[in-house]
Amino acid sequence: MHVRDVLRELIARDVKLRYRGSYFGMAWTLLNPITELAVLLFVFGSVLPLNIPNYAAFLFTGLLVYTWFQSSLVFATVAVVSNRDLIRRPNVPLSVLPIVSVASTLLHFLLSLPVLFVLLLVTGVHITAAVLALPLLVMVQFILILALAYPLAAVHVWFRDTQYFLKIALQLLFFLTPVFYESKTIPERFRYLYRFNPMVGIVDGYRDVLVRGVVPPLGDWILLVAVSTVLLVISLAGFKRASRYFVDEL
Amino acid sequence: MNLAIDVSNLSKSYRRYRPDRPMMLQEILARGLNGFRETEQFWALRDVSFSVPPGRAVGIIGTNGSGKSTLLRLVAGIGSPDSGRVRLAGRVGALLDLGSGLHGDLSGRENVIVAGVLNGLSRREVLRRFDSIVAFSEIEEFIDNPMRTYSSGMQMRLAFAINVHTNPDVLLIDEVLAVGDAAFQRKCLARISEFKANGCSILLVSHGLATVEKLCDEVLWMNAGRLMAQGAMRDVVRQYERHVGHTVEPDDVQEVAAAVQVAVPEMPAATAIKVDPAVPAGAPVTGRPTESVRIASVGLLDGAGHPLGEFRTGQPLRVEICFDADVVATRHRFRVRVVREDGLVCCDVVSDGFQTAGPPVVRRGRMTLVLDRLDLSSGHYRVDVMVYAADASHVDGTRAPGCPLVVMGDGVREAALDVPHRWEVDARTMDTGDAGRN
Repeated sequence: MHVRDVLRELIARDVKLRYRGSYFGMAWTLLNPITELAVLLFVFGSVLPLNIPNYAAFLFTGLLVYTWFQSSLVFATVAVVSNRDLIRRPNVPLSVLPIVSVASTLLHFLLSLPVLFVLLLVTGVHITAAVLALPLLVMVQFILILALAYPLAAVHVWFRDTQYFLKIALQLLFFLTPVFYESKTIPERFRYLYRFNPMVGIVDGYRDVLVRGVVPPLGDWILLVAVSTVLLVISLAGFKRASRYFVDEL
Repeated sequence: MNLAIDVSNLSKSYRRYRPDRPMMLQEILARGLNGFRETEQFWALRDVSFSVPPGRAVGIIGTNGSGKSTLLRLVAGIGSPDSGRVRLAGRVGALLDLGSGLHGDLSGRENVIVAGVLNGLSRREVLRRFDSIVAFSEIEEFIDNPMRTYSSGMQMRLAFAINVHTNPDVLLIDEVLAVGDAAFQRKCLARISEFKANGCSILLVSHGLATVEKLCDEVLWMNAGRLMAQGAMRDVVRQYERHVGHTVEPDDVQEVAAAVQVAVPEMPAATAIKVDPAVPAGAPVTGRPTESVRIASVGLLDGAGHPLGEFRTGQPLRVEICFDADVVATRHRFRVRVVREDGLVCCDVVSDGFQTAGPPVVRRGRMTLVLDRLDLSSGHYRVDVMVYAADASHVDGTRAPGCPLVVMGDGVREAALDVPHRWEVDARTMDTGDAGRN
């Protein structure tokens, strides 16, 4: 299938170009979460201790997952606008552009997983068979990110302030996602509202599988898969409809 | 009947934003809500229908802003029309925006693969054609260097090479044939002719009527978004030229080097210039129509007055110059130069001052420079034509873009001239009695 080749080549190009010319190159993928890990570990391990077991592993899992979410949305938002020339050629389905951004950041995420596993082992986390559910979680997160990426990329064509709003939203969402704390510490009365952030279920899922060594309950799975799939279907349809007008606006 | 391209009732409008429309929040606040009110609508295409059968080449001509490129883009499936539809049979190849999809930080090799896939080839097909693409672009030794280190000529050659290595059933070309030097242009044209011979349909937008004439079986003339005429080259171009002649704007015509293979002229033994007040035909070339005398076309003809096919060293050459003049009293001089590829001027002929006669209206006329024989070595040359006021300087003059000439001779020589010659040998001092000839 031709679309597969287009995807493959564009993802490869994205990955090659992202850090080309920089001294540390791919290491930047890890340098970011690692510095965050050091600072948060200091703050919430020593200054305001949260007393979460295996806190380093717990924290790093959340950071990597959130970093993938955050950077792929940032790149996907400008995916259409920054590929003006691709929009002006036949044979390139525009709906691949956000996929390329999300997938190339996925590659960076996957490349940092070994480091996470080393950390898990070093800090004495017991890895169980639950880890086999990891690919499924990655897939669900991929679908969820993509479902958010399509509308962002399309709206950004007309409204270039989208990327700035997004940056603020992602910054705030970081605190509303259980990255450095546990979701069960959210007071009961806010919990219903809190669960509207789909990243809550995703991050909790990764923690269950990797740190706690259990498979998340079936109900959570069904909800996650259903919500992200429905979102994706809707947003892809919207994107395709909007994409016919991209060329006139760029 | 199956058609390669079938366009029916295609219309496309754009909103024209008012130039004073505020683009930032602070401006909107400063002006109030009026700032949001757009625009009038204008039609880039209005109810355009035509079709192209397989294996035919159709040229689209028209002034700037007439909708040619919009039409080509919609045919390529880029953007969506307001109404109407486009149907294509088979794979589309587009030479629209050559450099697109290429990235300066990637090597030539990486770019070939990405751009090839973006052009509709599968990865495997690109790899199979890789060597041929690189050979076509003539940059073998640099293929692994990053593309930003290439000269712009090299970049365009590579882009073109990738673009012509697809096997399109429908090929769309927009003004991209002026790539590279004359030799490369010929290669590109040859390649496109090859596509056509293999049954590919071609839709070509060009300002260079010579290119259109060379490649196309018929012509569409677009004006202000509407299809004005469709038909044989000769008829449509006549209508077009008549139209352009009446609404001359400086930007209407661009100097597009007509990459047409013509013959060679050089040193004339005798030169005659004759004035011929009729309206001519011939490969039209355009000058800047802002001057009092405009060169409408320059044609290279053989001794019998037919368009030049192959030019061989020593043959006669006629340079036919069609012009419009709108000033009565000015005396004009025509100047024809034959310049070799590397800039060497091989021949420079200036006419006597020539007075355009008649009332002060647009006059058309024809000058023909007759070179009785042109003894150029084989190679690539260019024929430049200039016209200027005889009593002033070049300032009031116009200049036609060079007409390419290819001279076929006996091998390439370093010297510009290939003078008729023979060797005479004094047999008494020679062992062998052979006398060299020619």
